[in-house]
Amino acid sequence: MDSRIWQHPIIDFGERKGREIYFNFNGKPIKAYEGETIAAALYASGVRVFGRSIRFQRPRGWFCAIGKCSSCLMKVDGIPNVRTCITLVKDGMNVEYQDPRPNLPEKTEFECEHVKVETDIAVIGGGPAGLSAILSLNELGVDSLIIDENPWLGGQLIKQTHKFFGSKASYAGIRGIKIAEILLGELRKENVKSLENSSVIACYREGKGFKITAVKGHSTLYEIDAKGLLVATGAMENMLAFPNNDLPGVCGAGGVQTLMNVYGVKPGENALMVGAGNVGLIVAYQLAQAGVNVKMIVEAAPKIGGYLVHAAKVRRMGIPILTRHSIKAAIGKDHVEGAVITKLDENWNPIEGTEFEVEVDLICLAVGLTPSTEILMQIGCEHAYVPELGGHVAIHDKFLKTTLDNVYLAGDVSGIEEASTAMMEGKIAAATAAIDMGVNVEKAENLRKKSLHELELLRSSPFSKRVITGKEKVYSLMEEISCG
Amino acid sequence: MIKEKAEVVIVGGGIVGCSIAYNLAIRGVDVVLFERSYLASGATGRCGGGIRQQWSTEENIRLAMESVKIFEGLEEELDYHIEYYQGGYLVLAHTEDEVKQFKKNVSLQRKLGLNVRFLEADEINDIVPHLDVEAIGAIGATWCPTDGHANPFKTTIAYARAAEKHGAHIYKFTEVKGIKVEKGEIKEVITDKGKTKTKIVVNAAGAYSREIAKMVGVELPNKPYRHEILATEPLKHVLDPMVISFHDNVYFRQTEHGEVVGGWGDPNEPSSYNIESSFHFIVQMSRLLSRYVPKFRHVNIVRQWAGLYDVTPDARPILGPVEEVEGFIQANGFSGHGFMVAPMVAKLIAELIVEGKTSLPIESLNLKRFREGRVIKEASVVG
Repeated sequence: MDSRIWQHPIIDFGERKGREIYFNFNGKPIKAYEGETIAAALYASGVRVFGRSIRFQRPRGWFCAIGKCSSCLMKVDGIPNVRTCITLVKDGMNVEYQDPRPNLPEKTEFECEHVKVETDIAVIGGGPAGLSAILSLNELGVDSLIIDENPWLGGQLIKQTHKFFGSKASYAGIRGIKIAEILLGELRKENVKSLENSSVIACYREGKGFKITAVKGHSTLYEIDAKGLLVATGAMENMLAFPNNDLPGVCGAGGVQTLMNVYGVKPGENALMVGAGNVGLIVAYQLAQAGVNVKMIVEAAPKIGGYLVHAAKVRRMGIPILTRHSIKAAIGKDHVEGAVITKLDENWNPIEGTEFEVEVDLICLAVGLTPSTEILMQIGCEHAYVPELGGHVAIHDKFLKTTLDNVYLAGDVSGIEEASTAMMEGKIAAATAAIDMGVNVEKAENLRKKSLHELELLRSSPFSKRVITGKEKVYSLMEEISCG
Repeated sequence: MIKEKAEVVIVGGGIVGCSIAYNLAIRGVDVVLFERSYLASGATGRCGGGIRQQWSTEENIRLAMESVKIFEGLEEELDYHIEYYQGGYLVLAHTEDEVKQFKKNVSLQRKLGLNVRFLEADEINDIVPHLDVEAIGAIGATWCPTDGHANPFKTTIAYARAAEKHGAHIYKFTEVKGIKVEKGEIKEVITDKGKTKTKIVVNAAGAYSREIAKMVGVELPNKPYRHEILATEPLKHVLDPMVISFHDNVYFRQTEHGEVVGGWGDPNEPSSYNIESSFHFIVQMSRLLSRYVPKFRHVNIVRQWAGLYDVTPDARPILGPVEEVEGFIQANGFSGHGFMVAPMVAKLIAELIVEGKTSLPIESLNLKRFREGRVIKEASVVG
């Protein structure tokens, strides 16, 4: 079985694929292409169960695809607990299922390179916010470095095949994947320092600055001394509570997007989308583009949450959108075989007797995101729970300063929004950092003023009301704190 | 609103405070406990969870042995799973001086009835097969199979729940701001949530006991020291005992969940209330761990944190009343080993309050010893 996509209306996967290679999975050779992650190559060859849960040994499958959910841990070349979704496959690699509580690794030889790096501003996270921040920092002449744990920079941009809305300054009318190409092209042209495939594992306050440690593979430890931090770590997809929600085949919508749009693997034959916000609508459309039969989109709210343009596109393809409906359970043993859908009443409770089953092998969850705020919490930034922004966020002001000196944030980590606003926030945070450091202050102030204005325009649609309410809450908390 | 009156007020919701609350409550005492954060938020929740009887002074050995007797029946007594595991303690000796001291300790411990013996270097791998005895330069060890470990959070919660079941009032997120004393007698405890009248206050505030004592004009010699610790990803059960070396200032064990939890004491750590994590620690500790057990080299560390040792000049706790203020009882200064002796200490403090006498003598652990110069230092500590 090979579920790689070779024909696609937007992406030429044939051109993108690297050299054909072979690796061993539980002792059997499996074909892969250079540039694929282990998990993507396994999925393409029909593997759906990636691991087992610690307590009840329940099967675990593909879920987030960006190294956040731990569903795909396997033993790779003798080392347990490797996140196969962000580890690139190599020729001759030995990949095995692992016991949820693995044995001590037999391997004792260990070569580790310890690299020390100094920089003024370390940008953590290479999505739209981080990329736009590092480019602005570079333009302003601030010595900076960008770190990302995925094999490629670009964050969610590299999987967004749809065209963006918004203003010219925020790349309206251009597909996300193209925006990523533009930003990454600039990055390479400018020789910006970047550490890819490197996970930041800790942040320490040292003296007036920070020490960040990052690891690349199992072989390199980066010790980064920075005067300031710009955190753009994005978000993590939400889970929804229903029986069997951990079955392989229940995936985050973003995880599915990564599988099909980055690695060119068809995620399933028949799909159910849960959630009709923008993410749910867009991913349903992209699933259809990839040849998946999307049976329906269910939305618990009485109204479609996303843009009507996206909803209309989906409907034109014949995909029904059922509002006031939700998933009641997933059906299946080792993998999703179906779902039970139920109608909801005005109080969001299931109405008995309205249940029906759909036969699907893929259930996509597009039920919101939660800011990935771990690093900001660890370093000691004060946080608040702001439901309008998606959960706990570091308290910040409109210039994207946190409660700690020289720590800034941008993008979804500051509140769930969109790639276009994230890019604008990246510019604002970068300008603020430059101003605080006294580098190119006049130019930075101009950039900040312009970007704040652009951000305001991006947020002028009624869809942004909720975010604006959340942001105002956070700004006033920041004011309270800075006034003592 | 907090309770207006109580027979006893305990300051501190760690293992010491909660176990005393339980021991008083089952004796019918009307007891109130104040914790300024969540239960076990201080040193208890940050400790390694080891339970050791191998000490160098008679009081400590007796306290620890009696505590183990209580630990052995504690899950049943408190009706709560506390992950108690008697996997033993392997104490490594690296120098001839240590061998001499350890042999002396073993003979004292055996005299007091403890099942402990001295191991030659070539016997160490029978107990912990993965240990690289040669690389760490161990020339002997002592081994007590009835030592062990438990989950400090769960043990504290278990005591607190049982205490409440017997009528104790435990107030979390309630900070003691002052203690009113008139003519050398305690009148009431003032918190940020209100006041409670009482005649007896137990000072079980860990590294902050010194600050509590200051409120009534009592000077404690305790000093806070940061100790750092880490946990790895969960692994299959590979390690029975707690492994400890005073020479390298290191200890580690495996939890029921499977994580290896271990700490290293920096000999150059200055006294302070700092509990931030450091890069220095993680480097030292990962080097040490992978030298001790080479197969740890490819194991991921998932967490690190720090807590405060509440250290006295002789590394032994301060227990019992003080001369200046009547009813002001100390249960602090545990110097990094409060968790393991808490069950017995709590019983003794409750006996002292209720009956005025204790089933084990604790006079030598009174604060007076520092003033009278009767100080015998405990040698078996990770400092």
